[in-house]
Order: sequence, then C-alpha cells, then structure tokens
Amino acid sequence: MSILLPQPASFSPLLANVHSYASGLFEESSTLGFLTNSVLVALVVLCIVLWFSRKATKNMTLVPHKAQNFLEFIVEFLYNQVVGIVGEKQAKLAFPLLGTLFIYILVSNWFGLLPGVGTIGWGKGTGFLSIDAAHEPLLRPPTADLNATIGIAVSSFLVWLFLTIKEIGVWGFIVHTFGPKGGLKGIMGMVVAVVFLFVGVIEVVSIIIRPVTLSIRLFGNIFAGENVIHAMSDMMNGTGAIGSFLGSIILPLPFYFMELLVGLLQAIVFTLLCSVYIQLSTTHDDHGHEDEHH
Amino acid sequence: MTLTTPTIIASGAIDAFVGQFGLAWSKFFAQVIIFWIVFMILKKYAFGPILGMLEQRRQRIADGEAKLEKISKDAADAAKNSQAIIDKAEADAARVVKEADEAAKALQDRRQQDAVASANSIIAKAREAAQLEQEQLMSQLKREFGRMVSDATSRVTGKVLNTDDQSRINQETAAQVSA
Repeated sequence: MSILLPQPASFSPLLANVHSYASGLFEESSTLGFLTNSVLVALVVLCIVLWFSRKATKNMTLVPHKAQNFLEFIVEFLYNQVVGIVGEKQAKLAFPLLGTLFIYILVSNWFGLLPGVGTIGWGKGTGFLSIDAAHEPLLRPPTADLNATIGIAVSSFLVWLFLTIKEIGVWGFIVHTFGPKGGLKGIMGMVVAVVFLFVGVIEVVSIIIRPVTLSIRLFGNIFAGENVIHAMSDMMNGTGAIGSFLGSIILPLPFYFMELLVGLLQAIVFTLLCSVYIQLSTTHDDHGHEDEHH
Repeated sequence: MTLTTPTIIASGAIDAFVGQFGLAWSKFFAQVIIFWIVFMILKKYAFGPILGMLEQRRQRIADGEAKLEKISKDAADAAKNSQAIIDKAEADAARVVKEADEAAKALQDRRQQDAVASANSIIAKAREAAQLEQEQLMSQLKREFGRMVSDATSRVTGKVLNTDDQSRINQETAAQVSA
C-alpha cells in the first residue's frame, strides 16, 4: 500500500516566483546599481505623496475642499492618536516622523496590491509580450525589501534616540535604564540596584534589537502577503487557458482583502510601537520626587 | 579552533542572510534617503499646513463659541431690558388712558352743563318772545275790539261819541276781553 503524499518540491516553483530580495534594474556594479524595483516603487510612492500633499494643501480654505478634507482627516486622526500615546509636548516633535511612517508604510504596502506590481517584468518568454512568470519583476513594494524596512527602522531608532536624549539627557537615559526603582535603602537597596543593573542590560539589548524586530516584522508580513497572492494566482495553472485565467482572478481575491487589512495593520503596528518606544523613554521618572515628598 | 568556529559560522550566516535578502549599503541608503525626502515633503507640505489649519479652525470655533456665549448673554440682557421698557410703557399707557378718560369725562360734563344752560336760555328767550307777542296781540285785539264797539254803538245810537265815551267804552271792552 502506497500513499501519495504531496511533494514539497511541487510548491517550490510557486513560492519561488517572489524573490526574497529586490531585483536590480541595472548591473550591480554600475552607477545605478542601487536602483532596484523596490527603489523604483519607493520613488513612485514619493511622487504620489508629493503630488497629493501639494494638491491637498494648495489653496487651503477654512471650508476644506475634497483633497484637503481627506488629508485633514488622516492627519487629525493620526495626531490625536500620537498625542494620546506620547503626550502633547512630545507629539509636536515626534508627530512628523510617526505620521510619515504611517503614510509611507501604508502607501507602500497597498501599492504592492496594484495589478502589475510583481507580475510585470522579465522572465522566460512564452510568446509575444508573454512570459511564464515574472522572475525579475519591474515593480516591488518597498516594504517587501529588507533594505527599505531596515532603513525605516534605523531612521526611527535615530529619531527615538534624539528625542530621548533631548528630553531627559544622556545621564537621565542612563539613570532611567539602569537606575534602581522603589527607593529602597541599605542592603536591600544594593541587591535591588544589582537587579536593576541586570534589567538595564536586558533593556539595552531590547532597545538594540528594536530596529531588527520592527524591520523584519514589516518585511515578513508584506513579503508573505506577496507570496500568498502569487501562490493563489498560480494555483490553477495547468488546468487550461480558461481555468488558469479564472483561477488567477478568483482565487487571490479574498487574499487581496486580507492583504489590505494586513497592510493597514502593519502600518499601525510599526507606528504604534515607535510611539510607545518614544513614550517609554521620554516619560520622566517621578519616583524620586515622590520619595522626596514622603 | 574552538574559539574561531562560532565566529566563522556567524560570519557565514550573516553573509548568507545578506545574500538571501539582497542587503547592500547602496540600496539601504537609497531607501533611507527616499524615506527622509518623504518625511520632509510631508512635514513641509502636509503636516505643517494641515496642523496650522486645524489650529486656526479650532481657534475660530473657540472664538465663535465665545462670541455665541456673549451674544446669548447680550440677548438675555436685552430681553430683560425690553421687558422692563414694555412694563414701563404699559404703566405709562395705563396712566395716560386713565388721564384721558378723566379729561374726557370732565369735558363731557362741562359740555353737558353748557348745553343745558344754552337750552334754558333759549327756552327763556322763547317764552319772553311769546309773552311779548301775546301781549302785543292782546293790545291790538283790545284796541280793535274797542274801535268796533264804539263804531257799533255810534251806529246804533246815532250819536257821535266823544272822546270820553270812546275811552270809557274801550276800557269796558278791554276789561271784558281781558276777563
């Protein structure tokens, strides 16, 4: 008795359609070697953001026009969320970064869902303007490129560091991270100080790891989404022209809605985590003052 | 050997990771630069103007609310003032009506008295005129009657009556007529 188990190798071509890296549009060694398909989309996103920002804020009036109203809605919503987390004072400084993070990540994520992104490109020719699969796609969402997600995460980390040092100073940051809490004195105080020193080291490690977790979380979710949609699109391949055509439209459709949600969710998660990091490190430790009062 | 092996393994793993995900400084910096350009664009063209506009609108709404409150207070004061004015006007009107009523009554009484006096005067004058006319007629009647008696007497008696006779006949006749 033999059981026919599905062979993992049979799925690999589907998943292999989406590379884990962004494809270069020029030779790696050339001057434009940095220009990958994800950099190209990042430039397109930049142009979209610039165009819409100018359109929305040109000839602004107290009674807003449609584009102005839409951007006001987004900015006001984001600003209120940021104020709710980091407070009014830090929000004025941190909001430009946090707002940019949300908008840039969201537009990049959703850009990857546009038809043609990841499916138009270079591959093995099967006829006139026809390829078996886009092995080297022309367009790829920036958030599906680890270079971009690490870049965004490192930028956020640097701004976080700047805001933290600006707010509590270098010594304040050291005390905030390693300093003992609770106000215990004597031997217990020394024991607690050692414990908090150890906790501080763990805290430093967690701070250093933050850009890594932020970037890989975002990249992983968007890259996985790309893979899922491609896998679903190719699921009916080999069932004839009509079956393949209908399958490539119907099967990925539910996943498009899921990816819309994932794209929004990841933008929120990234922004929210950065906000929380800023809030945690810029909040003044008032225990000392409380102790003085007692 | 035991010290270098983990380093080599880690280095190999990092190289594999970098190679698998296409990490490169040039691509990394390209993405970072693009992100910061987006940041600057949004800060200059979106967040700044929009937050400014929201603040302006918030200020305008706050001013509007303050003005509305002031207007409501002014309206309440105006209503109170107008009620006081209305009350005063009503009191004045009642007083004026009462005074007019009294004046009209006084005027009516005076006119009535004048009318009565005038009527009495007219009646008295009419009586006097009637009395005078009656007396004149009576005198004329007596005179005519005396003349007629004298004439009849002279014709009956065939005697020419002298002045004394005529006078005596006239007196007798007048006495009889008066009776």
